[in-house]
Amino acid sequence: MFRILHDTNYDFIRWWKVMAGITIAFILLGLGSLAIKPPNYSIEFTGGTLMQLEFTQPPDVGEIRATLDAAAVHGAEIQQFGTNREFTVRAQDPSAVAAQSKGAESIATTIERVLKKKFGENNLKVVRTEAVGPRVGQELRRGAIIAILLSFLITLVYLSIRFEWRFATAAVIATSHDVFTTIAFLKLMHLEISLTVVAGLLTVLGYSLNDTIIIFDRVRENLRKGRKETLYETLNRSINETLPRSVLTHATVLAATLSLLFFAGEVIRPFAWVMAFGIITGTFSSIYVAAPVLLWIERKWPRKTSARQSSSTATPTSRTRPSPATATR
Amino acid sequence: MNLKYRILVIVALVAASIWALFPRTVVERVKRNGEFVYDTVRRVPLKRGLDLQGGMHLALEVDESKGPVPDKSKAIDNALKVVRNRIDEFGVSEPLVQKAGNDRIIVELPGIDDPRRAQDVVQKSAFLEFQITDETQALEKSLPRLDALLKDKKLVAAASTPGAKKDTTSSSAGLQSLFTADTSKKTDSAKTDSAAAVGTVGGPGAFSKLVQQGQMPGEYFVAQPDVGTVTQYLTLPEVTAALPPGKVLRWSSDTVSLSGRTYRALYVLDAKPIITGEFLTDAKPNTSPTEGNLVQFTMNNEGARRFRTETGRHIKDYMAIVLDQRVMGQPPVIQSAIGANGQITMGGKDLQAAQDLALVLRAGSLPVPLKVVEVRQIGASLGQDSIHKGITAGVIAIGLVIVIMLGYYRFSGALAVAALALYILYTLAALAGFQAVLTLPGLAGFVLSIGIAVDANVLIFERIREELAHGKTVRTAIDEGFRHAMSAIVDSNVSTALTAAVLYQYGTGPVRGFAVTLLAGIAASMITSIFVVRTFYMLWLNRSREAQTTLSI
Repeated sequence: MFRILHDTNYDFIRWWKVMAGITIAFILLGLGSLAIKPPNYSIEFTGGTLMQLEFTQPPDVGEIRATLDAAAVHGAEIQQFGTNREFTVRAQDPSAVAAQSKGAESIATTIERVLKKKFGENNLKVVRTEAVGPRVGQELRRGAIIAILLSFLITLVYLSIRFEWRFATAAVIATSHDVFTTIAFLKLMHLEISLTVVAGLLTVLGYSLNDTIIIFDRVRENLRKGRKETLYETLNRSINETLPRSVLTHATVLAATLSLLFFAGEVIRPFAWVMAFGIITGTFSSIYVAAPVLLWIERKWPRKTSARQSSSTATPTSRTRPSPATATR
Repeated sequence: MNLKYRILVIVALVAASIWALFPRTVVERVKRNGEFVYDTVRRVPLKRGLDLQGGMHLALEVDESKGPVPDKSKAIDNALKVVRNRIDEFGVSEPLVQKAGNDRIIVELPGIDDPRRAQDVVQKSAFLEFQITDETQALEKSLPRLDALLKDKKLVAAASTPGAKKDTTSSSAGLQSLFTADTSKKTDSAKTDSAAAVGTVGGPGAFSKLVQQGQMPGEYFVAQPDVGTVTQYLTLPEVTAALPPGKVLRWSSDTVSLSGRTYRALYVLDAKPIITGEFLTDAKPNTSPTEGNLVQFTMNNEGARRFRTETGRHIKDYMAIVLDQRVMGQPPVIQSAIGANGQITMGGKDLQAAQDLALVLRAGSLPVPLKVVEVRQIGASLGQDSIHKGITAGVIAIGLVIVIMLGYYRFSGALAVAALALYILYTLAALAGFQAVLTLPGLAGFVLSIGIAVDANVLIFERIREELAHGKTVRTAIDEGFRHAMSAIVDSNVSTALTAAVLYQYGTGPVRGFAVTLLAGIAASMITSIFVVRTFYMLWLNRSREAQTTLSI
């Protein structure tokens, strides 16, 4: 039997202050840079036009820009997309958006016309066009925020039923932490916030929550066993006991994420980046956010029998809970 | 559960999955030599989203820029029927036309290769009117007022174009004709001569200097560079008020070239149409050697009766055929009463334009103007490329996961890998069975889920190892391992499923596809990692009773 990190006994939680410092610094760095420059929203959220062009010959970006400027498509952002023959043109500034509302494809039509005139009808192909009116963008943004908040609420309710409110709250706080770190990551990586990235964020939240639940499940079980130890020790023990599983699962998920990152193409790459970061932040928050927060909640609102005592006098809540076996049958 | 039944369930699920994924013959509309024909295609019944197969997504809303619409929801309902009719005739395989929310229409056209044309067909109001051109010289009578108004407003300087300034030297009163006074018509040479003879034309007023008399009553010409200026004038509220009552001004759909300059005709028409397109029953494109491409239409009995009466009253008048407020071709003179049939000439436009016009006329006019609020158009080659890359990533992910599982858990890992194969089969079958749409984010979600799917097995295997370490027998360790891992598996999967459900509810298009894939994946992974792997263990335990002492895990 090949085992890694078997029967470990690391005192993970001891380092929580250092870890809190690191993560708070990271979040502040991200939010600080957000304050300086707003996030990079995709046209799905701001409204605007995005075109993906494929040239037969590598074109001169300056020439594309000059052509667009001459056609009064100002503030268009031109970016290489994958190979040096593929580019995206993004007209996202407010005036473009205002013009858009008159007819969402008008800008796209202009861009295609002037560029085909400049580079020749057969030398470029429009492979993708997205044009979104400002109102649609607003709705999508609201939808994304509602989706995140609603998923928190549902998680809170579900975990309160399956565990109890202290665990649920700690899990949701750990997950919220991941929202902030991921936003900071997006900002620091200059990744564009698109619908796909929001889907990635929600996947990260689900994944991180998974991780927290696996540890908390072990905590729940260890508490029931009634060892003579503090919650601090129980938490540490549970993290150590689930460590091999964590390593294995993170490895397989990372394998899938890396194949997406390197092989699934440009469109999916931002999603893969978010997920890759999510594995890190999810693991981190399960150990260094969820556990310390649970300790803190216990200290502040102890269960009827003191948390520091042996939990052999199992809590009223835990007694009324169904045993895991009966609950899942 | 009895081992026999367990195996039976697994085999039944595999059979159902293969049946769901078996390539089947479907009838599709495909384009062949420019014609749409029904054809049978054999393919795996997995629906691909627009981002994977290429196509166009349009979101339309009521356009209120030309006046408020009181009951938008009802208007959208009516417009929806018209758009659906048009799309059905347009010939796209598996189009989607649906109402979204209260005031939006979503149109999805897979595999469309001419997005602009498609958008045109959807968006064209196709409101057809037949209006008699003005014979009372109403515009001339209003000209002094219009000129004065514009002078007062001092808008002239701001709005005038270089083209207009050239003409300011001329100071003869009123309108000049672009043509000789006696209505010498038709021949191009006559036009050219007369235009040359007139030379600088136009009155002293801001408005009248831009407008020249045409060949027939109610026809005027505006030089193409001035069209913008005149249009701008005509939208000013003061100007609108000063225009002749009971008349409307409509631009021609095409331009004419006279002595090197391009002009666009502006028609003054009786505001009340003699008849509208609502009585139309059929419209067909056609080509005539003399008139070029045209659309022939037929009216129903009531329309024909009305048309006959009205045209009978207007013999020798000119009748403008107005489509979406544009005059199509030059208004013909009414020779005699017209009955059920008529035609619209397309000017210089190609047969495709005639086909599209016939299509929208047949499908009926839109009750309200629609504006496009969202367009997503993806080329088929890009979609193909995405599928290819997605599959590459998936295969590599599967390979890596297999290596990790086999390397770490050996025999048990092999069981997990076998379960993973079933997981992939079940998930794809579930997607096909529920007719879920596979999108690019969905494909990414699927690849990711391959990594996540083994988590349940990892949890179980680690538990079994713990139980074995506590000195339990193999059989007990497996039982206990599954039982203890259960609560963690259920809780983590249910909470992920809840998140996915929220995503499905609030996501659109591609993201929704992602949520569906995630949900299908969770269900399939619960079945395979708990039920299937357990059955594998039971099989193994049954087959080799003496091997129970050791378990490769």
